Amino acid sequence: MIKKKLIYIVLLLFCCKGTTQNKVDTLYFTIHFNRQLLELHKQYITSKKDTIALDTFKCYISSIQIQYDDNSLFSEKESYHLLDLENPNSLQIPITPTNNKIISKVIFNIGVDSIASTSGAMDGDLDATKGMYWAWQSGYVNLKIQGKSSSCKTRKNEFQFHIGGYLKPNYAIRRIELVPKNKNLDLIIDLAEFFSKIELSETNSIMIPSKKAMELADISIKMFKTE
Amino acid sequence: MRFNLRNILFIGLVVFISLAFVKKLSNDVYFEVPKGWPEPHYNFKNNPLTEEGFQLGRRLFYDPILSRDSTISCENCHIQASGYTHIDHELSHGIDGKIGTRNSMTLINLAWSKSFMWDGGVNHLDVQPIAPITSSVEMDETMDNVVKKLQRSEKYRNLFFKAFGTSEITGQLVLKAFSQFVLKIVSSNSKYDKVMRNEATFTQQEQKGYELYKTNCASCHIEPLFTSEKFENNGLPIDTTFNDIGRMKITNKKEDYLRFKVPTLRNSHFSFPFMHDGRFKTLTEVVKHYNSLGNDKNLPKQLSKPMNMSDNDRVDLVVFLNTLTDMDFLSDKRFKYPIK
Repeated sequence: MIKKKLIYIVLLLFCCKGTTQNKVDTLYFTIHFNRQLLELHKQYITSKKDTIALDTFKCYISSIQIQYDDNSLFSEKESYHLLDLENPNSLQIPITPTNNKIISKVIFNIGVDSIASTSGAMDGDLDATKGMYWAWQSGYVNLKIQGKSSSCKTRKNEFQFHIGGYLKPNYAIRRIELVPKNKNLDLIIDLAEFFSKIELSETNSIMIPSKKAMELADISIKMFKTE
Repeated sequence: MRFNLRNILFIGLVVFISLAFVKKLSNDVYFEVPKGWPEPHYNFKNNPLTEEGFQLGRRLFYDPILSRDSTISCENCHIQASGYTHIDHELSHGIDGKIGTRNSMTLINLAWSKSFMWDGGVNHLDVQPIAPITSSVEMDETMDNVVKKLQRSEKYRNLFFKAFGTSEITGQLVLKAFSQFVLKIVSSNSKYDKVMRNEATFTQQEQKGYELYKTNCASCHIEPLFTSEKFENNGLPIDTTFNDIGRMKITNKKEDYLRFKVPTLRNSHFSFPFMHDGRFKTLTEVVKHYNSLGNDKNLPKQLSKPMNMSDNDRVDLVVFLNTLTDMDFLSDKRFKYPIK
């Protein structure tokens, strides 16, 4: 009986979704390197003159809020999204049916909050199969950037940045506010900003919650732009 | 009209009563807290126990499909007859015969545990299996691939459907099934428990050992779980072949240097060897170690005074520890390898 009801509700929800599909405020992320679309495994030169090629870019976005010009606020529920450069669908995040109000701000976290990090097995984008969960020390990797650079005197010249941590003083989540430049919610993540702030020859493997991870989390904020 | 009303009332009552039963069945409280024990730490609301979930978890526990080359199951390092640890191995070995750096822990009364692993690095029972599955010296597999392998198996698709109402297997459901099995591993029927329930009495020697336990051990190995869930430096010199700094690796705090989880004493007669690196083969050696401590300001206050136990005292204490052996638990058929 309850199951039947549930099916109806789900069907109803799908119908609603169907009719409003064209008018949903959606965050569209594009991943750039110096204002150009980033391609994996392609070589780029950073402002620090490091030659780099990326093979992974994954990032959690959570607790998305949309602020309108009348100061009302829409907060997405169960708002956890994994952006993965290898999965273009993940870069579009439908949030809420469009209304007549003008959007003044988009607010969200980079990373996963401490509650989700301590609540056991999660589903959806937080599922452990996404490869963004630390095994030996619980918690999510908020941001994963991996690749190669001749500047790194490491095995296979690899660099790995796994930025995370849910316990103070190394709570690596960061909240950011962006003002959309047009009616579309086009957001850019420019990795050139990240690599312009670090010395790859010294800093090339950050894999645990730490002070250094906190610094990189601060730097990661600068990657997010609206143009 | 009147008769009809009565009929309707009667039918209504029957429906009401049946509904109450429906509710009871779906809320099957399958987890019993032993009398006098604290409430479990695990939040069962997020993962209600069912027989089907338990059986699925049991199957997964014994299935080497979890490892990269299908050679290692959870049971390899967590054998029921030893209190679910790797009996007779100082350090546990996993895939390709690789050896880790720590002695596998027992799996006993984990519903009451707040953190997992010798260093407490894992914060929730549900996510604990990720560590052995993905460790390169244990199962060396990814969660993603475990789910893909299970999804290809018709047997598992059916078992997940029975347990969770979906044959769409996810990492979350795999982990929840594990928890359902492991949570039911409760040891509460040792002689000690029977004595506490006034169903048995200690021998004179056991009673003497119990008093010694209360004086010397009970501040960390707290009844009835026989652990404080805390991390302590128990005075073992560091093994320089590992340089395992314990809890400090997780917290980065100096005071956590050489601190390890206080393990339960339950079933310790069967869970040898002892300590995080399995350095002691017998309980006698363990008791001797603690008896040799004292007057050392690096030790926690519980161990700062010498115990000064005589040889007879040490024997009595070990005899008491044997009253924590729960044979029903160590041989419980519900937890054995599932034959069908």
